[in-house]
Amino acid sequence: MTAEIRRFLLESLSEMNYDTDDVDDDTVLGPAGADLESLALAELAMRVEDHYGVRFEDDEAELFAAMTVGEFCAAVADRVKTASAT
Amino acid sequence: VSASGAVTGIGLVTPVGAAVDEVFDAVCAGRSGLARPPGDHALHGVVDVAAFSPPVAADSVIPPKDARLVDRSIVMALRAAEDALADAGIVVGRDVDPYRVAVVVSGVGGLGTLADQAVERSTRGRLGVSPFMLPGVLPNMAAARTAIKFGIRGCTSSVGTACAAGGQSLGEALRVLRAGEADVVVCGCTEAPLFPTFADAFGNALALARGWADPTAASRPFDRRRNGLVLGEAAGVFVLERPEFARARGARVRAEVLGWGATNDAHHPTTPRPDGSSAAESMRIALRDAGLGTTDVGYLNAHGTGTKAGDAAEARAIRAVFGDDMPPVSSTKGVTGHLLGASGVVEAAIAVAALRRGLLPPTHNLDDPDPACDLAHVRGGPLAAPVEAVMSNSFGFGGHNVSVVLGRGDG
Repeated sequence: MTAEIRRFLLESLSEMNYDTDDVDDDTVLGPAGADLESLALAELAMRVEDHYGVRFEDDEAELFAAMTVGEFCAAVADRVKTASAT
Repeated sequence: VSASGAVTGIGLVTPVGAAVDEVFDAVCAGRSGLARPPGDHALHGVVDVAAFSPPVAADSVIPPKDARLVDRSIVMALRAAEDALADAGIVVGRDVDPYRVAVVVSGVGGLGTLADQAVERSTRGRLGVSPFMLPGVLPNMAAARTAIKFGIRGCTSSVGTACAAGGQSLGEALRVLRAGEADVVVCGCTEAPLFPTFADAFGNALALARGWADPTAASRPFDRRRNGLVLGEAAGVFVLERPEFARARGARVRAEVLGWGATNDAHHPTTPRPDGSSAAESMRIALRDAGLGTTDVGYLNAHGTGTKAGDAAEARAIRAVFGDDMPPVSSTKGVTGHLLGASGVVEAAIAVAALRRGLLPPTHNLDDPDPACDLAHVRGGPLAAPVEAVMSNSFGFGGHNVSVVLGRGDG
C-alpha cells in the first residue's frame, strides 16, 4: 500500500510541476525539502481525497508541510485503512 | 510635481506583433490580425472570426510550480510588462527604489479560467475546484503578479472600466506621477476573451460582426456595411516616469502622456449615449488637462469598434469637439480587432509610433464611409504628416469614456 501511495505522491508532484528527482522517503514536503507551499499542500490533500476517497481536516493538511515523504505515505495508508474499516 | 508622464518603455502582445514598429507597420499596411478560429481552438465553430495573439507559455514568465491555472490574460500581461521594463532599461531596486514604483495593470480578469473551473465544479463537485484558482483569475492578479515578479512595492491597483480600462490605466498612472506618489508606473491592460462563454455573450448581444466570407473584412469601423466588432486578445504595458526622473537616469523618452479625461454616459449599461455628449466632454477635459487646443491635435485614434451605434456616437462627439478643423481620424481596429481594455494601450502605442514617424495609420476596410460617421478619415493607406500631439479614445460598457493625449518625446 505504501509503495502505491509513494508512486501516487510522486506522480502528483510531477503533475504539479515539482522536480521529483531528488525526492526520497526522508525528503520533507514543505519548504525544508520538496518546497510545497500552502496552496500546493492543499492541492495535494485534495488529490489524496479524490484518489483514495478519504477526508482530511484543514489543520491536517497544514501538518503535511513538516512531514517527510515516508511519514506522509504512512499517514495516508493509515487513513485509508481506518476509512475502509468503518 | 510632474505635468506629464514620460513614456520610456512599451511592451505588447498583440495579434499583429510584439514590437511597436511591427504593430504600427501592420496597421499602416493593412496586414490583418483577423482569422478564422483554428480547428483546435475553443472558439472553432463558435465565432466566424477573431484576432488571436501568439501563444505565451506560462512557465516562461512564472516559476513552473506557480504557473498552473494562471489565466492567459495574466501570462500575456507579465510578458508585456517584462518587455516594457526591458525597453525602458529599468531594473527595480537597481534603477529605482521599489517603493517608488507603482503598478496600474487592468483587465476583466481570468474569466476563461473561471468558466473552466465552473464546469469542473459542476461535473466533479468540490474536488474539481483548484486551490490555485483565485490567484489565477482575480482581476487584480495581473497587477499583483507584476509586482511579485519585478519586486515592485509601491501602490498597485487595477481599474475595472471594461473597454476603457487601458486608456484609464494610462490616465491613472499620470495621476499617480502628478501626485508625487511614484517615480515610475508600470501601467497597462490585458484581456483574454477568446473562450466560448464570453464570445457567445457578445454574439447573443448582437455585438459581433457576422456574415463575412473573408474574415479580414469583418472589422470595418465607420464603414457603411459594418455590422459589429471582432473580439481580440492582447496585452499592452507602458513604463511611465516622471520626466525629470527619466532624464536624470538618462532614459530615452519616446513620447509623453500630456493629459487625459474621463466621463460617464449615465445612459445605459451597454448602449452609448447617442449624441456622444459625454464622450465629447471627455475629449475636452483631456485637451484642457494637456493644456492644448483643438488645432494642436494632429491625429485622433478613435475607439471605433465597428458597431453601428458606437461608431456613429463617437463621430458625433468628435465633430462636436473639433468641428470642421478636426484632425485626421482613424480606428486601427480594422486590423487588430477589438482588444477590449487592452485596445487603449495598444492604440496609445500606435499613437506613439505615429508621433515618432510622422505617419498616420488608416482605417482598414473603410471602403464606403458611413455618412453618419462624418470624419476626416485616413483611409486607403497611411498619411504622411508630422504631428506634435495625438489623442486616443477608449470607451467601455458601462458608459465609460476615456481620452488620452500624447505628445512627442525626444527620440
